[in-house]
Amino acid sequence: MARNLILMLGLIAVFALGARPALAHHGGAAFDQTKMQTLSGTVTQLDFVNPHVVVWFDVQNPDGTTTKWSGWLTAPNKLQRAGWTKHTLNPGDHVTISGNQQKNGSPVLQIRTVAGPDGKNLPTFEQ
Amino acid sequence: MRTRVIVPTVAAAFALAASATLFSQAAPAQGARGGGARGGAPAQPAASAPAPAKDLTGVWMMRNPPGKNGPWTNFTYTDPMKNPPSMTDWGLAQFKLAKDSNGGNYTLDETNDPVLTKCYPPGVPRVYFHPYPFEVIQTPKQTLLVYEYDHWMRRVHTDGRALPTDPDPLWMGTSVGRWVDDHNFQVETVGFNEKTWLDRLGHAHSDQLKVTENFRRIDSNHLELDIKMEDPKALAKPWVTTFYYENRPQWELGEISCSGDYLDWTQVEKGGRDYKR
Repeated sequence: MARNLILMLGLIAVFALGARPALAHHGGAAFDQTKMQTLSGTVTQLDFVNPHVVVWFDVQNPDGTTTKWSGWLTAPNKLQRAGWTKHTLNPGDHVTISGNQQKNGSPVLQIRTVAGPDGKNLPTFEQ
Repeated sequence: MRTRVIVPTVAAAFALAASATLFSQAAPAQGARGGGARGGAPAQPAASAPAPAKDLTGVWMMRNPPGKNGPWTNFTYTDPMKNPPSMTDWGLAQFKLAKDSNGGNYTLDETNDPVLTKCYPPGVPRVYFHPYPFEVIQTPKQTLLVYEYDHWMRRVHTDGRALPTDPDPLWMGTSVGRWVDDHNFQVETVGFNEKTWLDRLGHAHSDQLKVTENFRRIDSNHLELDIKMEDPKALAKPWVTTFYYENRPQWELGEISCSGDYLDWTQVEKGGRDYKR
């Protein structure tokens, strides 16, 4: 029951987020739009660049290895209007990021939500 | 074969969530810098204030029409997927060659979108299909349309001159404008090259394209833009699409430049890191 509820909420989130102009410049055909991944890791770099802001973060795997992930957000102009700066995420910050992974299996996400060090979701779009 | 996936079972949840999260008019973030809000308290004008006469000045961001919520599809209220243009044989043949990325059909490796693969200017009316704000600057003899995407500016002559009869081909055309009444500003544009798409799905136009934009100031805070495209070579009949905008007096247009970063993005899409190194 609880599992179904979580699944349903997940579907709602996926489709609600899918309605927004997720990637203002590029389409999402390279990413698996049917599955959401949620990862926790440590920021190594924030590239505040056009056409998309990129978060680089390390994720510890169960076997003790580390995978270097990257995730795209929307354009920096849009994030600035939502309150971001190039210092919003910094190396060493703990983040929890949900998104759609590259279909080819690369550790790349089209980010849907990102929670910063305080655990609160950061805005990903301007109003 | 382009496929469209419809998931009606989650439509209700989708609409509910979309209306709650996408189109709410929350106060803008404070303290953002260039390309963002100009600090200080949010300064949304009252929605009910009447429209000023013959005045479009300000920064405008595409949003739903007043009182209505719903998803934008490809960022115009008139969805080109659901309401596609009526094309000539030539126009249809060109459209079939298009491999769009923004419709979600092709990756960056596969697309032949001229904006994404060549950094071509978006053209008109495609520039409106990119979900970025634009600014209107009015002077006595010209109205300047400044688009955040892709830092393009169009000069609309309002000095009474006629449209050129044999214009040189340009990316964004040659424009003249006039006030039809206190709240409707009409812009006619001709003289396009054939290198751009009408929209982000790849609908084609020729150098015979004529675009007529009607900017209607609904009230102080809202703008309706009807765009009519006429092109006897590409369109079997005129195609009209509609956008809605809200005023964003606290915003400044930011910087965007198509450059190597854009063209290298296909590497980032595949997990590479070479786009800025």
